[in-house]
Amino acid sequence: MVQDWRIVALFIGSIVLLGVIIGGPLIYAIMLSFYSAKSFIGELQWVGLKNYTSALQDPLFWLSFTNGLIIAISAIVLQVVLGVGIAMVLNKRFLGQTVVRAIAILPYFLPTVVACLIAQWMLDPNYGLLKSILASIGAGMPDWSSHAFTARGTIVLVSVWLWTPFVVTCVLAGLQTIPTQLYEAARVDGAGAWRQFWHVTIPGLRSVLIVVILLRGIWMFNKFDLIWLLTKGGPLNQTETLPTLAYRKSFLEFNLGGGAAVATISFLILAGVILVYLRLFPIDDAKQGR
Amino acid sequence: MKSHVERLPIDSDAQVPGREPIRYQPSSRYGKGVQEKTFWKSFKKCSMKFGLYIAVLAICLYSFFPIYWMMISSVRPSQRLFLDSSLVFWPPDFSSYVSLFQQTNYIANFINSVLMAVGTIVVSIVLSAFVAYGATRLRFRGKTTLVASMLFAYMFPPLMLAIPMAAAFRSFGLTDTLWGLLIAHLAISLPLAVWLLWGFFKSMPFDLEEAAMVDGCSQFEAFIKVVLPLSAPGLITVAIFSFLLSWADYVFALILIMSDQRKTLPVALESLLGAHDLRWGEVLAGASLIALPLFLIFIFCYRYFVAGLSAGAVKG
Repeated sequence: MVQDWRIVALFIGSIVLLGVIIGGPLIYAIMLSFYSAKSFIGELQWVGLKNYTSALQDPLFWLSFTNGLIIAISAIVLQVVLGVGIAMVLNKRFLGQTVVRAIAILPYFLPTVVACLIAQWMLDPNYGLLKSILASIGAGMPDWSSHAFTARGTIVLVSVWLWTPFVVTCVLAGLQTIPTQLYEAARVDGAGAWRQFWHVTIPGLRSVLIVVILLRGIWMFNKFDLIWLLTKGGPLNQTETLPTLAYRKSFLEFNLGGGAAVATISFLILAGVILVYLRLFPIDDAKQGR
Repeated sequence: MKSHVERLPIDSDAQVPGREPIRYQPSSRYGKGVQEKTFWKSFKKCSMKFGLYIAVLAICLYSFFPIYWMMISSVRPSQRLFLDSSLVFWPPDFSSYVSLFQQTNYIANFINSVLMAVGTIVVSIVLSAFVAYGATRLRFRGKTTLVASMLFAYMFPPLMLAIPMAAAFRSFGLTDTLWGLLIAHLAISLPLAVWLLWGFFKSMPFDLEEAAMVDGCSQFEAFIKVVLPLSAPGLITVAIFSFLLSWADYVFALILIMSDQRKTLPVALESLLGAHDLRWGEVLAGASLIALPLFLIFIFCYRYFVAGLSAGAVKG
């Protein structure tokens, strides 16, 4: 293969730039987590693992961790169940299929800010749409942001609305790859719609679902903007997660080292979970099923 | 299914002399009135169809109603905003939009957002094209590691990038500047861009460039004149997703930008809501204006959105 020096030079230059932009902050974050940086201007002071030990001893850290798990897992379960359901419907033939598919994906492309503002507007305890609906049937509107369950529920609800379309698109693509002969064979064997779904559709979607659950899990666990916009971690830290905790430490308490330590720990936890997940459900193995 | 069960045994067995054709179907289904059966069948079919359309309608409502509600609320006059919950509002009243433009920095913020998006798109495309092309056509060690690390990088916790950037930008004088924010947006869009284009270049046969090179082009010219024009769909997909990431970014703009004049739309909008008097009309007008460019692009580039999604363009 002929290799043009200009191609090589541009490639190396771009890689270096990429490394500086992405790798640089990563290394600096890990470095910061070993220092005590009490403000943005002050000197850095080496403290070793102190940021880590104090983070791990903080009950708020563990509360944030479990909150994050609860929110992420419930959001993923709902996204996958609803996503597969919607995809099964959209996979049928009906009038205006293209338009309906486009509408069903639309929320995915909305900025998180817009979705959160819509949710806050519709669920506003004084002026919201839900309040007028509840009032018309004579029920009162609770303030969702002041109870742990409703605050978490709202976060899960908005994230399901925003990101289910991703599951829908992937599952729709996956459904195309299941050979129709399998369905015919199942019907000949007397399987009804329900058993066809469990024994043909779900195994056929296995590889897609493994990837989708992995990606959505990573993104839900790392979610900062949605939670910060909706609840800011409240009420009483009941929706605090590791990303919001890292933000709070770094930018509200000006404890950069502590925030970096929390971010690093959550990154390590995530990397560990991903490794276990990939060991349990190898993607390469799954791809052969496609 | 019916044809299989019915035809196969009867046709084959009937030709064997001296043997009764075997009927596999229970006689009750065929012996009794055929009319009753077809009626039942068509009723079942009809109700299935009906159920399908109900489900489709429910999906559309679920996906679109919140967006519709945002837009319809933004064109209600502010004195009726909190009282009126009718589904249709006519004639539209744009006073919320007017006061949004007059009383806030919305236009400056809009320009900032556009600048960020354009910068992110251009730099992402250029850099990721070089990296992805090199990764598919050059021979070197650690190719797989490079591509895998791209996939890994776009799953970093955003704060793992934002905290050190906030600290480091202080010493480079990039704090509270759009240049700093551009670097941050590149850090989230580049891995995705490289990943998408890598998939694209990988599937493009080397013969094309080879043909151009036989005709006297250098490899660089072949890349510019043959490969890039042919990968226009891939480049458009990269452009769209870079735009989305930059346009929708809240985290980095929140952390890296402080002054009102330099804020991008998402942060500016959120700070409107935090203002002393709750200005829902203006907030919803602003939210509709953020969504509008997205909708326009979505309508015209729908297939690139779907192509990008199935190629692994995850956002969120």
